[in-house]
Amino acid sequence: MSAAAQDLVVEHVFTAYDRADVLVDVSLRIPAGSITCLLGSNGSGKTTLIRSILGLTAPRSGSIALGGTELTRLPTHRIVRLGIGCIPEGRKVFPRLTVVENLVVGAYGEPRREVVAERLERVFATFPKLAERRTQLAGTMSGGEQAMVSIGRGLMAAPRLLLVDEPSLGLSPLLVQETFGVIQRIHAQGVTVFLVEQNVHQTLAIASHGYVLSQGRVVTQGTAAELRADPEVHAAYFGTSTTEGMR
Amino acid sequence: MDLLAQYLMNGVMLGLMYALVALGFTLFFGVLNVIQFAHGDVLTAGAFAGLAGYALVVRAGVQASLPQLLTVVLAATLSMAVLGAVLGRTLVLPLKGAPALNVLLATLMGGTALRECIRLFYPGGSQPQRFPALLPSTAWALGRFTLRLDNLLMLAAGMALVLGVSLLLQRTRTGLAIRAVAQDEETARTMGIDFRRVVLFTFALGSALAAFAGVMNGLYYNEVNFGSGLLLGVIGFSAAVVGGLGSLSGAVLGGFLFAGLQTLGAVVMPFASAYKDVFAFGMVILLLAWKPTGLIGEPLGERV
Repeated sequence: MSAAAQDLVVEHVFTAYDRADVLVDVSLRIPAGSITCLLGSNGSGKTTLIRSILGLTAPRSGSIALGGTELTRLPTHRIVRLGIGCIPEGRKVFPRLTVVENLVVGAYGEPRREVVAERLERVFATFPKLAERRTQLAGTMSGGEQAMVSIGRGLMAAPRLLLVDEPSLGLSPLLVQETFGVIQRIHAQGVTVFLVEQNVHQTLAIASHGYVLSQGRVVTQGTAAELRADPEVHAAYFGTSTTEGMR
Repeated sequence: MDLLAQYLMNGVMLGLMYALVALGFTLFFGVLNVIQFAHGDVLTAGAFAGLAGYALVVRAGVQASLPQLLTVVLAATLSMAVLGAVLGRTLVLPLKGAPALNVLLATLMGGTALRECIRLFYPGGSQPQRFPALLPSTAWALGRFTLRLDNLLMLAAGMALVLGVSLLLQRTRTGLAIRAVAQDEETARTMGIDFRRVVLFTFALGSALAAFAGVMNGLYYNEVNFGSGLLLGVIGFSAAVVGGLGSLSGAVLGGFLFAGLQTLGAVVMPFASAYKDVFAFGMVILLLAWKPTGLIGEPLGERV
């Protein structure tokens, strides 16, 4: 299959979630092999879009397809097993599972033990600290360590497409930098990355192109360079949009 | 002293039964945050399913008690595993997202319907039924205390079951999925875990445990009736809550604690042993006033 055939394509998606956080006619494309970003302030609908892709909140209408496979009618576990990994907002490690258990859960769709063990070794090679802490309960770790567990867990599924929801949330600037470095390394290994962020500058530094969401609508899109120069980006960042205004 | 040993043995037997019932409550609450109030009636239905299996093999001419016993246990546990999954699928999963009260009510009604069905449709179901003694009747007299082999066998089997459930949860892939769902359902789903399958498996497992407790109860008292599960259900629920809903060790602890309280009530008030349940439930209320979230604060999943 050609690379384009593996794109994740979102078309005319409407999702009603909490009243404040909806999607209105959202269309976007995450080309295979890219780092595509989605920028927007709190409540702009970023997390709702992730939830829609993962089937946690089903869209009311519209289409979401990965490599031509329609996702909107599938249950979450089936969507994930098509090769979509997730590093959720707020990390969401399983607090009462050990580090190893957290990671192994990440590979739940893979029944072959030896493959899981192999992936585990790869994650430990990326995050040696996790290997030292393998039997520690994830809930007792620091925020930065939990971030490693969450990223490692997302990698355990060996995804083609990795959804990363606000990785910088609650991390120190140094850890944010480290995390973005890890995301770049993951991308370099051939994984498509969809990076959802509020942190405009660091995100545009590693993304090739992106979209800006404001009040549930895509208000602008373009390459990273175009977005950096776009006043709409700065408007969206402060929760207002020059074309829409506050309604 | 001999009398005390007899009380102790009885207490341990009851404690194990309560623990088995409590395990179900705690598993259901763990994965789905619900109270499944038909659980006690599932226990009764399990005992009657075992009885029906027994009647069938006897009619088929099976005389030996070991195959009879295996039939009773398998008929009870397997049929209740299926029934439990069906109850989960029809009464509990459709109400996901509705207030917890709705599930409580739906299962309470489902349990009542089940109980009435046993009373009306099982041959002679409105009368207590004799439960066959299928275990060896060997007993050793140690002074005034009689140690019975059948009690020991039931104890060993029940303990093995509790241990097996614990190993299943701690050591297997399915167990890992159950624990993950218990801690964070949505994240578990995004890890590729089939949430509905995990829930239905858990309901099957918990209900099979109740069925085993029902058979144990029948073998212990040589009798079952359509209301057997009512009190056992309430006791199992209390045990799970006192131990800390969602915690496995809490359920086991709670079960033995309740039996201990009943026994204590009977020992310290031999003149009023009929009040042992009043005493035990009263103590449970006091315990809950003291520790509202149960004795063990290390649940299967984090609670909000």
